[in-house]
Amino acid sequence: MLRVVGQLAALVVVFVVFRWLIGNLVTNYSRLNIGFDFGFLNVPTQFQIAYHPEFNPRLPVWRMVLVGVKNTGLAAMFGIAVAGVLGLVIGIGRLSQNWLAAKLSAAYVEFFRNIPPLVAIVFFSFAVFLYGPLPHLRDAIEVGLPGTASTLLVLSNGEWGVPGLRNTGNAPLFGVLALVAVAASAAVWVWRTRVNERSGEPHHRVLWSLGVLAVVLVGAYVILDGPVVIDWPQLSENRRRLASGFSVNSGFMSVAGALGLYTASHVAEIIRGSILAVPWGQTEAANALALTNFQRYRFVVLPQAMRIAIPPLINQALNLTKNTSLAVAVGYAEITTLTQTSIGNGRPAVQSIVILMLVYLGFSLLISLILNIVNRRLQLVTR
Amino acid sequence: MQRRLLALLAVLALVAAACTTGDTADTVPVTDGGADDTSADTTPPDTGDTDETTDTTPAVLPQDEGGILAAVRDRGAVRCGVNDVLPGFGIVDENGEYSGFDIDFCRVVAAGVLGDPDAVEFVPLTAEARFTALQGGEIDVLIRNTTWTATRDGQEGATFLHTTFYDGQGMMVPASTGFTTLEDLADATICVLQGTTTELNLTAVFNARGIPFNPMTHADNETLQPAYESGQCEGWTSDVSQLTAFKASIEEAGGEEQYIMAEVFSKEPLGPAVPDGDSAWAQAVDWSILATIQAWEFGLTSENIGSYDGDDPNILNFLGTDGFDPGLGLAPDFAVTIVESVGNYQEIFERHLAPIGLELEGSPNDLWTNGGLMYAPPYR
Amino acid sequence: MTASTLKPSTLPSATTSPLAWVRSRLFPNVRSGILTIVLAPLLVYAAYRAALFLFVNGRWEAVTRNLTLFMQGTYPRDQQWRIVAQIVVLALAFGIGAGTASAVRADVAKEAGLALPRQSPLSVIRRFWSLIAFVLLLLYFASTATPWLVVAGAVAAFLVGTLARFIPTSLRNLGWTLAALALVAGFQVVSGTVGYSWIVTAIVLAAGAWSTFKFENVEGRRALLYRALVAVAAWVVTYLAYTQLVYPGVGWDYWSGLHLTLWVSSLAIVLSFPLGLLLALARRSTLPVLRWLSTGFIELIRGVPLITLLFMGQYILGFMLPQGTNLSSISRAITAMTLFTAAYVAEIVRGGLQSIPYGQTEAALALGLPTGKMMRLIIVPQALRAVIPALVGQFISIFKDSSLLYILAINEFLGVRSLVHAQADFRAVAHAETLVFVAIGYWAFAYAMSKESQRLEVRLRAGRR
Repeated sequence: MLRVVGQLAALVVVFVVFRWLIGNLVTNYSRLNIGFDFGFLNVPTQFQIAYHPEFNPRLPVWRMVLVGVKNTGLAAMFGIAVAGVLGLVIGIGRLSQNWLAAKLSAAYVEFFRNIPPLVAIVFFSFAVFLYGPLPHLRDAIEVGLPGTASTLLVLSNGEWGVPGLRNTGNAPLFGVLALVAVAASAAVWVWRTRVNERSGEPHHRVLWSLGVLAVVLVGAYVILDGPVVIDWPQLSENRRRLASGFSVNSGFMSVAGALGLYTASHVAEIIRGSILAVPWGQTEAANALALTNFQRYRFVVLPQAMRIAIPPLINQALNLTKNTSLAVAVGYAEITTLTQTSIGNGRPAVQSIVILMLVYLGFSLLISLILNIVNRRLQLVTR
Repeated sequence: MQRRLLALLAVLALVAAACTTGDTADTVPVTDGGADDTSADTTPPDTGDTDETTDTTPAVLPQDEGGILAAVRDRGAVRCGVNDVLPGFGIVDENGEYSGFDIDFCRVVAAGVLGDPDAVEFVPLTAEARFTALQGGEIDVLIRNTTWTATRDGQEGATFLHTTFYDGQGMMVPASTGFTTLEDLADATICVLQGTTTELNLTAVFNARGIPFNPMTHADNETLQPAYESGQCEGWTSDVSQLTAFKASIEEAGGEEQYIMAEVFSKEPLGPAVPDGDSAWAQAVDWSILATIQAWEFGLTSENIGSYDGDDPNILNFLGTDGFDPGLGLAPDFAVTIVESVGNYQEIFERHLAPIGLELEGSPNDLWTNGGLMYAPPYR
Repeated sequence: MTASTLKPSTLPSATTSPLAWVRSRLFPNVRSGILTIVLAPLLVYAAYRAALFLFVNGRWEAVTRNLTLFMQGTYPRDQQWRIVAQIVVLALAFGIGAGTASAVRADVAKEAGLALPRQSPLSVIRRFWSLIAFVLLLLYFASTATPWLVVAGAVAAFLVGTLARFIPTSLRNLGWTLAALALVAGFQVVSGTVGYSWIVTAIVLAAGAWSTFKFENVEGRRALLYRALVAVAAWVVTYLAYTQLVYPGVGWDYWSGLHLTLWVSSLAIVLSFPLGLLLALARRSTLPVLRWLSTGFIELIRGVPLITLLFMGQYILGFMLPQGTNLSSISRAITAMTLFTAAYVAEIVRGGLQSIPYGQTEAALALGLPTGKMMRLIIVPQALRAVIPALVGQFISIFKDSSLLYILAINEFLGVRSLVHAQADFRAVAHAETLVFVAIGYWAFAYAMSKESQRLEVRLRAGRR
């Protein structure tokens, strides 16, 4: 009985405090004639979004939110890729026998781990774009594709042009088929793995699944009569914007790049710790089997290390995603920057921030979901 | 099992209780707050009198107890929302002292209301948070290069007072580009501060004229300036006063020569704002500021106002020599205090805006007698 | 990559000749040699560029002239003596702490019959080299003698503090008490009795009272009650003292610069700790309602970035309090940071609680200890000890994250940059220089702390064996 009363009391206390806060908010807002409705989502955004020429300022605010979510996701994905690859290299580098490589990796980790990510972002933007070697867009470096007239890369201090894909009519259908192709190749991968486990015959799963992928993609491409073509980057005639190609702007690269570098220092530590956690006997056993360095890493050490490393690594991915909110400092149009701008232009703060938090909770939930799935799989593997 | 059931029942009971209190709970929080909030008791919120005209609002307006003017006098300081990173208008020098045109008008208000130009607490604010600070009562007056617009008067709960600086939005480009009109900037990237009217104007003007452009928004001048100088953006749009200041700085530092386009494409009347609904406070602030313009018109400066020995009745009224008190809640000699300690409008202008390259003569900020817009209602 | 051996024992020892060292560490095999040949020129070039920037091309005037601004921001200059006094008092506090700690180590060593490893001053320099280098950099930039005097005063106070090592063993707790009191005094000397600073002192004093007066001669639950009463009394006395005594100071609403950065992160940790502890215990509780509430709070906070909570503080919190409360923007930011940190502290403490083997619980139960006493005497102390390194890690994290206040126009260390670049002389120059300076500052503190936390981790792990 005491337990029930105690819990009830806790609930009541929490409720009263909450009620008090919300009550004050309602009182104050009604005094100021500010509402709590989400009608502002249908009002025109009124401002143009950087590097989004297709975004019309008369589009409603909810479209702006979508742009922000997309950009947050893009920066997070790219940052995670950078952090993962770089972190792996540096984490292994720290264990290198080569003194220089080990020390440089250690210095890298100690430098990036101990500066605020916000400083890292501004730093990156300064070092690479503002005071870096890249020229202005009108003098952009154009790297041609050897043997053709098209440009492969356009490099400037404001935006980079990289090859993109252009829809010639059937792109959505092709996209669906591409997903099917990926699913099919994944299925083939699983099938070959099972065959290998059952009968011991070589699985060749990489060949198999790549083959399936290629066959389906090429088939779909031919049947749909070239649904997408490669959109080579090209400057406009007045050399002030990219006329074609996929544009990657400096804000995006500063956020994704800097957070990638910053998070890589944490990733490297996780990788190093996990590799060290693999029992020494495993290495000795691998040596006894006369495996090469690469084979030992690829088949013995890394698979075991990864099992330890993956939960904290996913946690780092979550941190990186949340840190993209620091893009405010370089004006990259992700959800936090856009929300702040939109509040500054008179949109209601409470509702805007509620949406902002929901977006991040959504991202967090997604990543936690992945973590849970991976954890479950890992546990199955360990048996 | 039984325990669970009990817990469930308890939760249900709680929810039921919540629903019933929901209708009347508005009174509960107020008394709650009064009970345990002894530390911040300067203005007891729960007073029942309904002296003001507002009948829809709950009885917790700040002006119930004599309003902001009384609160400021109690506190002995004016809380002034400012920009601390705006050349000419508000900066912090290496000794940690605030200075600038807007800063001086904060001091003018303090001198007028409290008789002491240093009785100011400066509250640096971002562009996005300034009206929140004003609505929430965190600041008494907002003097932060804020443009007077209808929306802000209407939706943001602000009341704008006499404009202290008539500005306009302009466009700066490196002189080497040879651009002279906005049309020349077609397709160009343009740097702008986020969350400001400048950003909205830029979009509106360029869209109206059908000029394609790409805005690059920055939270601060200190990231915008390097972006502009590195050529990430070809144009920098801001209030002309700011562009003038940065043009001088860039050229002085050995940077490229800059060009500010002749076209000014918006009206930006910058002035102080106070919270809605407290006219006594609004008038006190307004007349403190008007006093600097009136003194200028009378030819009274910080040097000579103390030693005025003429017999112009208007001036004598203004100085309060004969005890003339229009009933604004200010000391009769408030104008003398203001002008002696801070200066008249011209002096403030020359002190802070002339160094960043602005001219008073012939600008909209000149006195109405010289063809400008500075005009104070008669003090009588 | 080229890592072929991982075990330290197989690495060649450091006493071999330089040539052999180069051979074995830089060119052990072809691939490693190529790596060296690729990396070495890159490194040399980077070092050359960095040196060029630091010593030749850098226009450091923006930093040197605004050094005081970077350190204390807009803090009123006529009150500067408070900050100086604070630095000295804090140095004294750390000195007392260090002295007491070394005395405790000596006691332990004597008890175990071991020789105490001598600690040379050199080892202190090695441990804190980044901080010392930063202070030297500041002194190098300083244009007046005052900073030298301050540093000299701080070093002297620290040395005086280390005399605490001669406090007799029976009064060992006195050392800790003195250190805590000096810490509080250092905080108070600046803040005075202004604003909400009493909360900090109240927490420290209540915790101190709790752990000092143990009422060991009183039976069972009553001792707990007495201790709680004493702690509450300390809290109330602090509060009353604050409302009665009027000791003017400069509350944290008016702090800025590095001073604010350091304090705001310390405050977030100190203020969040009680809340985090409660949340952790609630999450481990067998009472479902407490568990749900605590889990909900923790997961909600951990799912969003700090900046969104800071926005909440900036745009909404003011309206959630009765009109006229007027929390300053720094107070609101501290509130947001405290709530944020509390969720992480709760998870850290929970991790500590979970790391205690179940055998401990069983043993306690076998001894017939009731749950409360078991938690208090057996589980929580061990758990807290185990999580100290993680707490330091969280402190570093919030220290770095305090830079976000800059986005709210609060002029902490990073934010001072924008003040500097609004000044007439630095509007169009030295943006990179100030950023590098600020980065060095953050790095020096975070690096020193992370090294200390690693040391702690090693020591604590050794202690558990």
